[in-house]
Amino acid sequence: MSENEHIILQARGVTKVFGEGETAVHAVDSVDLDVSAGEMVLIMGPSGSGKTTLLTMLGGLLRPTSGSILIDGTDITKLSDAQLTPVRRKSVGFIFQSFNLWETLSVEENIELTLNMAGVSGSQAKSRARTLLEERGLASRLRFRARELSGGEKQRVSIARALANEPQLVLADEPTANLDSKHGRDVMHLLRDISRSGERAVVVVSHDQRIREVADRVLWLEDGRIKDIGSLVRDPVCGMSVEQQNAAASLEHAGQTYHFCSRGCSWEFQESPEKFMLTHGPAKVRGG
Amino acid sequence: MGVPVARRNLFAEKGRFAISVAGVGFAVLLILIVLALYRGFSRSGQTFKDLPGQLWIVQQGTTDPFHSISLVSRVELEDAQTVDGIAAVVPVLSRTQEFTVNGKTESGRLIALDIDSSLPLPDETRRRFLPSEGTIVIDGILSDKTGLSSNETAEFNGVRLVVGHVEPASSEAFTPFIFLNATDATRIFARDDLVSYGMVILQPGAESGGVAQAIQARNPNVQVFTSNEFATSIRKEIDESFLPIITVLLVIGFVVGAAVVGLTIYTATIERSREFGVMKAVGGSAGFLYRIVLSQSSMLTAAGFVIGLVAAWSVAQLVRELVPDFVTIFRAQDVIAVFGGTVLMALVASFVPVRRINSIDPAIVFRA
Repeated sequence: MSENEHIILQARGVTKVFGEGETAVHAVDSVDLDVSAGEMVLIMGPSGSGKTTLLTMLGGLLRPTSGSILIDGTDITKLSDAQLTPVRRKSVGFIFQSFNLWETLSVEENIELTLNMAGVSGSQAKSRARTLLEERGLASRLRFRARELSGGEKQRVSIARALANEPQLVLADEPTANLDSKHGRDVMHLLRDISRSGERAVVVVSHDQRIREVADRVLWLEDGRIKDIGSLVRDPVCGMSVEQQNAAASLEHAGQTYHFCSRGCSWEFQESPEKFMLTHGPAKVRGG
Repeated sequence: MGVPVARRNLFAEKGRFAISVAGVGFAVLLILIVLALYRGFSRSGQTFKDLPGQLWIVQQGTTDPFHSISLVSRVELEDAQTVDGIAAVVPVLSRTQEFTVNGKTESGRLIALDIDSSLPLPDETRRRFLPSEGTIVIDGILSDKTGLSSNETAEFNGVRLVVGHVEPASSEAFTPFIFLNATDATRIFARDDLVSYGMVILQPGAESGGVAQAIQARNPNVQVFTSNEFATSIRKEIDESFLPIITVLLVIGFVVGAAVVGLTIYTATIERSREFGVMKAVGGSAGFLYRIVLSQSSMLTAAGFVIGLVAAWSVAQLVRELVPDFVTIFRAQDVIAVFGGTVLMALVASFVPVRRINSIDPAIVFRA
């Protein structure tokens, strides 16, 4: 990261502990993270690894137990709930797995309402909403209700809404999870375009390996901690990322070492190694 | 202008919206009708204010004209007439009396003023209260109730009297008044020496309080009411009997209305918890969200108020046709007060949903 880069998001020692004493669970543990304008960071990890908890804290929707989160220099962990609201409104855009559109409103009104919250109303709000939607290929859907849209269209509306108040930070939670491959790819490219515009930082939490293609950096979160992506390898059978040193099983084949998430996967591999080598290709996970 | 979220939310469930509006409308209908009936009843006794006398001499201990018998001798009234400031003391014969109309027995309050024909009185007063011998003046309520109309005959203790004219306006909801000639009244009551009251007509400039005191000082067997006190004595019974009931009905109406609005908005808020959570997450302030809830409540109560107002007016017209005794009076002040009540209803009904909104965790948005 060069000195000229404008850091939008800076997290230091972010920790979230649920419960107390022996029942305490460290959902997120001492996470450090910097994301600059124009950068798209993908956070991956197994279910329950703390990805969404981390994203929720980065967006100011959950207070960390300890640590600091700075959005464009403002430590949001020190703000009251009332002070956090305008930060979320102006500085953060959210994109959700389940879209979370307002079902009773039209597509256009979904964007307008977000603008209304920021004090923009009337023709100004309408004009901006139309521009945002037209830019995302939704010109013919302005008056549709959210329930009348396809999943891909809903997510495009969700992206338009996230950008309505021109936030510096966009947080996306599993943005492609409910989409087919074509629409998922569309959304990936839209997210990439958002970051490539150079003004915004984008943080995406996802299981979707395809997003790795467009991410500038990929981080692996497991047990609440960011792991060294370099030591992660992919299980050639199930495709899951596993820590090399903690793999359930490892096998040598054709001069290469393969690591598995479970013994079952290693047995399956042994039965027909060629099949899995063709399916998944190189076993090493690309790092950032 | 912003996006009409409240309207969209309400109209998203049209059936529930219609039922809720009907519920509020019913509450408003109940409140307005009860108030209108109370106002109608409260006009009872107005006739005593419309009559030309300013003071009423009654037998000592008389509480009111309807539930208390007053007997005053003509001699006592002639004696009272000597008090300074009095132009005339008019003997009044009055009592509730049965009579027959087309073979049916009815009842009404007979009133006869034994007034000196030389006493200067406005023509309208003579027309309304002083029928010629053999005739009576009845009001619209009695006419509607009995079917008795002009030139028809009613029989009082064997004395047949013809309806001279029907006064369309009436204030006496409980006991309709029948004005008759004093000669006819004497025949019906069969007493000439005793009358019910003495109606005192003051000389111009005379002070009623002083005259009343002078009459009572002169004759301790009588007491003196002003016209207003006499009319109020009738309303006192209505107020004492009906006000507590009316108050309870008004409170019930208010609670029903507030409960309907509150439940509707609360249910809508729960159903849309996630959407409110999204609003919170993307930066909707508490005030912004409260305004949505309050707008929903206000729209519901406003629509209910309009429906209730129209329904109350329609019901009043129907009641007037079916039950003439039920006089309903809609006062602008009451309608405005009920509107104020519905605004209060909206505020009260918003309280619980607003608390619910406060408790919504915006992090809900990340739950699939």
